[in-house]
Amino acid sequence: MNWFCFVWTVLFSMVWQCPAAPSTPSPTAPGSTAQDEVECPSNCVLLIYSNRSTSEAQDPLVMTSTELNPDHYEAQRAAHAVRYYLNTLYGTPFRQLSFSKVHQARTEDLGEAGMKYLLEISVKDSLNKSSEKLCSAEVVYPRGETQQPPKVQISCAASLQLNTSAEEEDFYKRYSAADSAVSGKDIPDSYGHVDPEMVPFWKLAGVASTFIMLNESNENTLYNLAQVAKITQLESQNGQLRLEYVVLLHDMISQVIIIACITTSDD
Amino acid sequence: MLKSGLLFLLLSFSGCAALLFRDIVQQSTTRNYDYTKYHNMSEISAWMEQIVKENPGVVTSQTYGKTFEGRDITLLKISVANPDGKEKKAVWMDCGIHAREWIAPAFCQWFVREVLQTYRTDEKMKEMVQNLDFYVTPVLNIDGYVYTWINETTRLWRKSRSPPPANCTCYGVDLNRNFNANWGTVGVSTDCCSNTYCGESPASEKEAQAVTEFVKNRTKEIICFLTIHSYGQQVLLPYGHPQIMAPNHAELLEAGTGAAKAMTAVHKQEYEAGTPPEILYEFSGSSKDWARLAGIPFSYTFELRDKNEFGFLLPEDQIQPACQEAYAGARHIITYAHDKFFTDSNNAGAVSASITLWVTALTSYLITYVLE
Repeated sequence: MNWFCFVWTVLFSMVWQCPAAPSTPSPTAPGSTAQDEVECPSNCVLLIYSNRSTSEAQDPLVMTSTELNPDHYEAQRAAHAVRYYLNTLYGTPFRQLSFSKVHQARTEDLGEAGMKYLLEISVKDSLNKSSEKLCSAEVVYPRGETQQPPKVQISCAASLQLNTSAEEEDFYKRYSAADSAVSGKDIPDSYGHVDPEMVPFWKLAGVASTFIMLNESNENTLYNLAQVAKITQLESQNGQLRLEYVVLLHDMISQVIIIACITTSDD
Repeated sequence: MLKSGLLFLLLSFSGCAALLFRDIVQQSTTRNYDYTKYHNMSEISAWMEQIVKENPGVVTSQTYGKTFEGRDITLLKISVANPDGKEKKAVWMDCGIHAREWIAPAFCQWFVREVLQTYRTDEKMKEMVQNLDFYVTPVLNIDGYVYTWINETTRLWRKSRSPPPANCTCYGVDLNRNFNANWGTVGVSTDCCSNTYCGESPASEKEAQAVTEFVKNRTKEIICFLTIHSYGQQVLLPYGHPQIMAPNHAELLEAGTGAAKAMTAVHKQEYEAGTPPEILYEFSGSSKDWARLAGIPFSYTFELRDKNEFGFLLPEDQIQPACQEAYAGARHIITYAHDKFFTDSNNAGAVSASITLWVTALTSYLITYVLE
């Protein structure tokens, strides 16, 4: 099996605030450095996501629609949710999707069902830098006290589907070999450097992170991958390439760095 | 013949050796300093000393405070005498208020070099340095910066390194929430473990106090306050609080938008301008807000490269393009502010030109008709 299907099985995606998170070192020794390496999943509180579907709107709603400035933060954050979504579907170590511009944006208040954002955005494909696709997207952020992921739809989804490239196949073949034992840490390093051989693993971490970033998104967040703290290749099962990542995700709004543990395998 | 040849060879060899020895013994000049690499704090301090040594009469350094851990907070002052002895205004720039934003201190060093390399040859820069002094602090949050250099696990530190308050367990205050500007109202945390912890009181942090003291005594002199951050590619104007607007909002927006356009033009990377509540998030206690409230008309936060690929870990091969963009933006705002305050010299030029014309006309009339 190779990258074709790109159904990411994100096993054990766990997000937690470890007592040893980089942003909160122990105060007992003033000059001390930060924590020991984070081990997955050991000494941290696990948050497991429930797949509760949002309730359907029963009553006729007073739907208020508001036009948004497409360059302002509300529309931009929703566009990032679309970015995460697109990469969960189509991202690979060799292909990442993003957006260059939001052209139009408005909201529809769905009451109990949540807040809907309707966007016209230009989608960028790292494989084809010269052309961008104009797409219509919808992001519905559910209401409620606990974090629930937004629901995303995008009009041009089908047209973004691609066959697996030769590059991806080679990558899979090379690293799913029985003796392969990829490992690494701090990617990029403090100086922003990424070993050329580690670039696909770094990009893969970014794509895998979009599952978590989408899960954790709401109207008050904006996540990016800050760094891959650790990557370890797990024993291949049934010829699959299995990797365990510890990633650091940066939320631009709260400025927090969250540590997440991801196990990826192709399916 | 051979003897004198050998003697010549020996003398020149020893001459070369002497020169070589002198170069090794002498501190390296800033001509060899690599502005496209990240430098630790001792390298930056040494660079600052060299810059002062190499530019006597133009660059001086001034220590204006101490960090929590007792380090000197020092700025470089670039000052050229005004030929007419006119009163000068000033530009303030600080970098590295957030420790992990390494591209910012890199830019302050770049900026100093750029000004020093162009103030004698670039016509506009020549004019501006005659009217403006530059106060540049390459690293403001020195404790935090030093901390990020310890090892890979400390690289993403943001705050100062002051100890936790009672009943809390984490170090550091977000210096850009600690200034006395609507302090503690929006976009802050009162949890000392948060990366946006605003401190126990306004300007509780020594680093914020140092800036406050220095700048508040010079609010008539300083016309431009630029504080450099990363990442995001934005030019932020006051205020971070959503419900107040600066009295000169229109010109702040005009200059800021012009800067963002200039930055975008350098390498086709998109930069945008706006207030934080519009394009980023609302927050209070920032240094740029405090400076605007203290009366400094042109006050901005720059968020440098990139958008979200490398974030805080911007590769060294992007230092040069990032600094070129930032320089274009800073120069745009400095020029805007300069031209606003120093149009008198332009008018004086025009007036004297027209006086000359009239005198010449009158004289030639008198000569033509009176002497006839």
